[in-house]
Amino acid sequence: MLDKLLFKNQDRLQLLIAVFGSFLGVTFLVTSIHYLIKVQEFGEGADILGPNTIIVQKKVSNAGTLGLKATDFSESEIKKIRNMSFIKEVQPVRSNNFKVMFGTKDPLVPPFSTDVFVQTIDPQFLDVKPDLWHWEKGDEFVPVIMPRDLFVMLNTFMSASGIPQVSDDVVKQINCEFKLSYGKRAEHLNCRVVGFTNQVSSILVPESFMQYGTDVFSNGTPQKITQILISGKENEFGLVEDMLEERGLESRNSQMVVGRLKSIVGTLFIVIIAISIIAVLVSGLVLIQFMQLLMSRNAYEVRTLMRIGHHPKKIIRKFFLYFVRIFGIITAIGFCAFLLLKFILDGVFASGGVNIDTQITLTSVLALVFAYGIFALASYFTAKKGIFNEY
Amino acid sequence: MNITLDRLMPEPLASIQHGETSIWGNKVVLEEGKRILLNASSGKGKTTFTTTTIGLRKDYSGSILYGDKNIQSFSTDDWTEVRTNQISVVFQDLQLFPKLTVAENLRIKNSLTDTFSETELKQLLEQLEIDNKWEQECGLLSMGQQQRLAIVRAMAQPYEWLIMDEPFSHLDVDNAKRCMNMIHERTIAQNSGFVLTTLGDSHGYSFEQELFL
Repeated sequence: MLDKLLFKNQDRLQLLIAVFGSFLGVTFLVTSIHYLIKVQEFGEGADILGPNTIIVQKKVSNAGTLGLKATDFSESEIKKIRNMSFIKEVQPVRSNNFKVMFGTKDPLVPPFSTDVFVQTIDPQFLDVKPDLWHWEKGDEFVPVIMPRDLFVMLNTFMSASGIPQVSDDVVKQINCEFKLSYGKRAEHLNCRVVGFTNQVSSILVPESFMQYGTDVFSNGTPQKITQILISGKENEFGLVEDMLEERGLESRNSQMVVGRLKSIVGTLFIVIIAISIIAVLVSGLVLIQFMQLLMSRNAYEVRTLMRIGHHPKKIIRKFFLYFVRIFGIITAIGFCAFLLLKFILDGVFASGGVNIDTQITLTSVLALVFAYGIFALASYFTAKKGIFNEY
Repeated sequence: MNITLDRLMPEPLASIQHGETSIWGNKVVLEEGKRILLNASSGKGKTTFTTTTIGLRKDYSGSILYGDKNIQSFSTDDWTEVRTNQISVVFQDLQLFPKLTVAENLRIKNSLTDTFSETELKQLLEQLEIDNKWEQECGLLSMGQQQRLAIVRAMAQPYEWLIMDEPFSHLDVDNAKRCMNMIHERTIAQNSGFVLTTLGDSHGYSFEQELFL
């Protein structure tokens, strides 16, 4: 009966407009947050380098080839890059200055060995478990991260030898070894593949192993830093790219493309999120304003109800629940619309060869809950103020 | 519960000269269980008396006590309790809900205390000869019918005091008498009192006390 008294005579068109605006805002908000997270996550775990991280070197010009222009990085150059606002971290990539050979040492695979180039980078940039990534003299094996190119080469060799090719998991079980040598001195150390990379062309080893090789097998030539590892800030990868161009630096194109795309799409989704937040706020305000209008239209009814003995709290509760229910329905329909959009968009991404994770992100659901909570709070205080104005 | 008006003076009436017998500016006690006539000509403050006494207006000097408690100290909970169980009112402008039916107007009040069953409510309407309006929208009733409905609604709660602001102004003598009989029976049954404001007509009832403004 109270519902009939308070809510029957209202401007349905205004309510419908507010509901539709809120629905659009909620749908776009949850969709854009979901896909922003998915874009940020895209490519994570596919490689051992963290997101927005690239290895760069100086472009080699004719002058560089002739030794007239330095191809290594000085400390001051590294410091300058590190101080740039869009750079999170810069670290040198250290290379071996001793002779290393890498080969298989497993009865199940034919012998294979080759001279290799090993490098080490700061473990903070590596997406490998810390307990796997350490070595000290006397350990059972040296953990290594293998470039995919080398893995493909190994598989080609296996195939040519009439042995079945091996998967990522199997290659991690194969016993391998390093042979370090200087003059007549040589040492064999067992090693095992713990991960793969597309981004680095050399075998990555722990820093302690690099130091050991340098200390024991180096010919004394000082190590030059010809590559550095740069980690850019989220969604500012375009600036990193500009800086590389400006300073005559280069990176693997694939790394740049993914970084650039993530940066562009991420920025786009941030813009959509901002617009969605504004839409949710505006439509929420329209709903709140509608509530105030409804209370002012029902001022006589509200006043009379209290005069004949209805508690103000009971009437506040009526208005509060009515609008919280409306926003609840909007949120539920908005979420269903998001699921439908997600189904369509995931299909579009998949057909374009972009296989993103299809799980619903917790953050987007939390954003909905947060928006609902804010609206519920605003509804309660608006109802309370409106009712007590008539008391 | 006695209601004490201690040197009560509503602000809009402060500039007017009031007589020695007027309740304004003097100490008046409305004694529990008494049936009181408040007699005054237009503009003397009958409606102001009603709205001030039940806490709807706060623009006055002096004090109003329910028992020994000053009503200015009342909380929202206190007022809800007073309006639900202690004081019932028939407003001069009736304060009905024109878009609701007669039945709904009564239910919305009766549901607070479940004082009457639907049958009893219909019987009360029947006493006042408007039982055939049960499902009719209240706004479509005549002023006299609405006045009778407002009286029945005021009956639909327990009360210690019934305050009525010119409740029979649109009723003929017979209907006013029927209403008066109903009010008398209900008030006696509850050992409660009432105050009836009027322009001078006592409606053939023997009041125990008469007040003036």
